[in-house]
Amino acid sequence: MQVFKDYLQQHSPITEEQFQFLKKELKVKTYPKGTMVLHEGGTTQVFCFVCSGLLRAYTLDNQGKEHTLQFAPENWWIGDRNSIYFHEPAVFYIDALEDTEVVLITKHFLEEAQTICPDFRKYNERLLHNNIRHMQCRINQLLAATAEERYLDFIQLYPNLTLRISQIMIASYLGITPESLSRVRKALAKKNSY
Amino acid sequence: MNKLIENIVAKPIQPGMVGDGFRVFNYIPRGGISQQRISPFLMLDFNPTFDFGPSDHLRGVDVHPHKGFETVTIAYKGSVAHYDSAGNSGVIHPGDVQWMTAGKGILHKEFHEENFSKTGGPFEMVQLWVNLPKKDKEVAPHYQALTTDDIGQVALANKGGIVRVIAGSTQDVSGPAKTYTPINLFDIRLNPAGVFQTSIPSNHHTALLVIEGNIIVNGQSASQHSFVLFKNEGEEINMQADETSIVLLLSGEPIPEPIVSYGPFVMNTEAEIREAIMDFNLGKFGYLE
Repeated sequence: MQVFKDYLQQHSPITEEQFQFLKKELKVKTYPKGTMVLHEGGTTQVFCFVCSGLLRAYTLDNQGKEHTLQFAPENWWIGDRNSIYFHEPAVFYIDALEDTEVVLITKHFLEEAQTICPDFRKYNERLLHNNIRHMQCRINQLLAATAEERYLDFIQLYPNLTLRISQIMIASYLGITPESLSRVRKALAKKNSY
Repeated sequence: MNKLIENIVAKPIQPGMVGDGFRVFNYIPRGGISQQRISPFLMLDFNPTFDFGPSDHLRGVDVHPHKGFETVTIAYKGSVAHYDSAGNSGVIHPGDVQWMTAGKGILHKEFHEENFSKTGGPFEMVQLWVNLPKKDKEVAPHYQALTTDDIGQVALANKGGIVRVIAGSTQDVSGPAKTYTPINLFDIRLNPAGVFQTSIPSNHHTALLVIEGNIIVNGQSASQHSFVLFKNEGEEINMQADETSIVLLLSGEPIPEPIVSYGPFVMNTEAEIREAIMDFNLGKFGYLE
């Protein structure tokens, strides 16, 4: 909970009093590595804020192949808006790639926080626009960027995940095969190695 | 004056797996033994005798990076094959020690050696990480493959056993390992009632791990798989074996610099860690299939 409180206070000047009032809406939960946090077709009413560990959102195609939409390491949010805001079945899976501690955040918490703290409203809007901006970039990357450009963008966004997850998962996020990812890394090494 | 003992730590309760080939108990860093407290040593994992059974699949750890320190692998039982991004490869057999200086960055992988893997059998290893001082963190990666023949030997009195001097010196025998800061690393093999006495400067951070058997060290009993941490007071270490015993003694002059660790990178600042991660991501450590 302290990690989330520090995060909030860093990004929007929420007071101690306001946090104490809002805290009743929050719940801390831990997911051991390998736990399925959300199933496709399931329902959820909460976002997860990751205090420690690593979550991943992904879909499975008809051949059973995984397509990773997002990783959520420390200080990231992850959730299925289709389910939270539109009360429809979740469209992707979320699982824990490491032992993970999260704060569960309800829509009601976000509404209350915006009511009592105008700065939080501004921050939440910025977060939403940042999310949309990121999605636009990601669509463009998947349509137009080379494998190397996608990888270079990935290591800027998630610098330490190359040490925490498999090449297969990185490839599934980039929309390329693991063999293509190997070729990209080999070419970079040829160009950059000491 | 006898070196004073600060603490005798029992074997941790749970082992952890490093890849699928190393079933290790972690002694450093742990509890009161922080990386600063035991500097220049950063990590000690011990895989006590364990038989993984015969396997066509090569157990081990796939490609991973290191930067800013050295890894020292001491093979007691079983054999490990290793490969790196500089094109080096080799096999570490029982009695051998591999001293790898990661320096400015290397990729490597290590697996049970193919023939050993096929037959299975007892496997026992120690991996020790040794920090590099700031001025040497960017040295080019290199290896010292120390085989049994290279390692200095001291025969103990009254057929008490032998001491294999890997690094540093005792009783006028020096070890072959070239180290960046003063370090002693002794593989001590004691026969029942065998006695070994040595003197280690009081400013060295000093510890020993009882790999096999039971010993009395400076008047205190240290049982199999326990870890003895010495205070920085006194110089003399006297040990006597109750039974056939193997002891790994390590000591080193502390490096008086900040330590910032992130997984396989050990630097002096957070900014250097971020740079190390990005260098790895951009392929600066080279490439290894």
